[in-house]
Amino acid sequence: MDVKLERINKSFGQVQVLKDIDLVFPSRKFITLLGPSGCGKTTLLRMIAGLEPVTAGTIRFGDRVVNELAPRDRNIAMVFQSYALYPQMTVRRNLGYGLRVRKTPKAEMDAAVGRVAAILEISHLLDRKPAHLSGGQRQRVALGRAMVRQPDIFLMDEPLSNLDAKLRVTMRAELRRFHLDLGATTIYVTHDQLEAMTMSDMIAVMHGGIVQQFGTPAEVYGMPANLFVAGFIGSPPMNLIPGKFRGGEKATFVSPDFSLDLPDASRQVVDGQEVVLGARPQDIALVPGDTASATGRGQVWVVELIGSEKLVEVTLGDRRRITAQVRAETAVNVDDAVGIQLDPRRVHLFDAATGLALRR
Amino acid sequence: MTRNQFWTLTRRLVSYAVLSAVTFVVCFPLVWALSTSLKPKSEIFAMPPTLIPKTATTENYKALITGRPQYFQSGGQQVTSGTTPAQFFTRWFFNSVIVTLGSTLITITVSTLAAYSLTRFRYWGRTVVPYFSLLGYMVPSIIFVFPLFLVMVQLNLTDSLLSLVLGYVCITLPFCMWLMWAFMRSIPIEIEEAALIDGASRLQVFRQVVLPTALPGIIAAAIFSMIVSWNDYLFGRVFLNSLDNLTLTVGVMLFFEGTHVDWGLLMAASVLMTVPMAILFMALQRHLVAGFGAGAVKG
Repeated sequence: MDVKLERINKSFGQVQVLKDIDLVFPSRKFITLLGPSGCGKTTLLRMIAGLEPVTAGTIRFGDRVVNELAPRDRNIAMVFQSYALYPQMTVRRNLGYGLRVRKTPKAEMDAAVGRVAAILEISHLLDRKPAHLSGGQRQRVALGRAMVRQPDIFLMDEPLSNLDAKLRVTMRAELRRFHLDLGATTIYVTHDQLEAMTMSDMIAVMHGGIVQQFGTPAEVYGMPANLFVAGFIGSPPMNLIPGKFRGGEKATFVSPDFSLDLPDASRQVVDGQEVVLGARPQDIALVPGDTASATGRGQVWVVELIGSEKLVEVTLGDRRRITAQVRAETAVNVDDAVGIQLDPRRVHLFDAATGLALRR
Repeated sequence: MTRNQFWTLTRRLVSYAVLSAVTFVVCFPLVWALSTSLKPKSEIFAMPPTLIPKTATTENYKALITGRPQYFQSGGQQVTSGTTPAQFFTRWFFNSVIVTLGSTLITITVSTLAAYSLTRFRYWGRTVVPYFSLLGYMVPSIIFVFPLFLVMVQLNLTDSLLSLVLGYVCITLPFCMWLMWAFMRSIPIEIEEAALIDGASRLQVFRQVVLPTALPGIIAAAIFSMIVSWNDYLFGRVFLNSLDNLTLTVGVMLFFEGTHVDWGLLMAASVLMTVPMAILFMALQRHLVAGFGAGAVKG
């Protein structure tokens, strides 16, 4: 079932936390609301769940307006960050609670609980209480409780953030797999861009109560709509270098440290405009310091080995540092004089005043 | 034996010695009361005193439970008719039970609902009420007794068990509400939201999710309320006067009246008074620790 958000606003007293959210989440897709804490993503999810009243705007499930519907009447399921299992009930009763309050016949309920427990491999835990489960097991029970009713829409509020790093990777893949098997629309909230990138069909990047960009993972990574998205998506983050655009016969980006010819620059930019150049660390090549074709020059400040790759921080002329990610074999040492080389086709250009991307 | 082991052993011995001494001091009056209650008249003042009665008798208990007049005058002559405290013992016991259960029921119902409202709904004053409710405990209860008595006079409730129930609610409710408030605060709102999404109504959420989770707190509050009501002397002494309406604590004092005190009977009454609370305590102490613990840490 698709979810339509039309001009959604939310205020707590004088504080406006969501501003004119307009989104359409297509049916059966895995959609992630991604953003730093305080960006309003959890509030938006809670409004979709019916746990938080809508200040203004319309939420539709399919064609049905659900603004005034109680959570129980929305046929949704939610997985909470804290799991929110019922502490005094066994796993079996936790899983079955949603069916029990809806007066499902006992046999049908037992079958549903058994099926979900088998899928999640928690059949041996059915008679335990939540206090006697590990974090990963609780996570599965919380997930099972959501799956057992076969809802139209799954809502997940940072469900992996309380797990250790290794388990998080495993559960990430499993969640993705469950989503494909169940075929329900999933709306997932996280501040972890890696989770968003790996699991989602669509990502809504949020900041300051506003949707900054809504697109596929490839789009938000490859074509960030503004400086916020550019800086937020990608690890290590994109290098952002302020400078000026020189138009004329040969379009050029000029900063105190270097200049870069931009043969296919956007027609939106004008001569002398203040711009910000964005370059991902993976798109920066290091060359010997005396290479004539180098875009800019600097001195290696620190080198970090991260396995098959190295992160090299280079101090440019005006003490600005940029990060380059290179193969681990690259011979580069602290205090080496190096040149950096940028591919004009792989850099991003943003308007310094508005922060918006200047597309080609 | 290494130095370390020596110190460990010494420390252990010292702590056992101290704990034994404390246990002895606390338990001795109870043991002595039990012992005296089982002794026949002739043995109670025997010298040297005996801790374990030479010839145990259950006469005192029988007298209390059956209400048989068994009252000795100073000459040692047995009186078999007339009004004696022993006759009223079962009545007083029953009164105490009624008053204790009544006040506890009211206190628990009101404090649980109040605490839920204070932690879950937004309205003016909800943050200060719990703290002010503790203020009453900084004043000795003798201060409240006479104003409350005057209120009871106004309400025409003096010398009734209901007056006592209301009096006890007045003194137990604020603390129980604070305790439940601290406890309710520690129950994450998410489990209620999860239940709402699962399909429960507000009332179902409260009954099926909140109450079972708050049970340790409820038990702690109930025990507190029961102990206060059961053990109170002051309110009973001021509010009640007819023999039929007395509670145990006030009634048992009547055993001291007259020229002769029947110690065996008095001690048997004391033991019977202690038993219900002791049983309650032993059965529920596990929950009590959990309840007060949660209140203390989170509050």
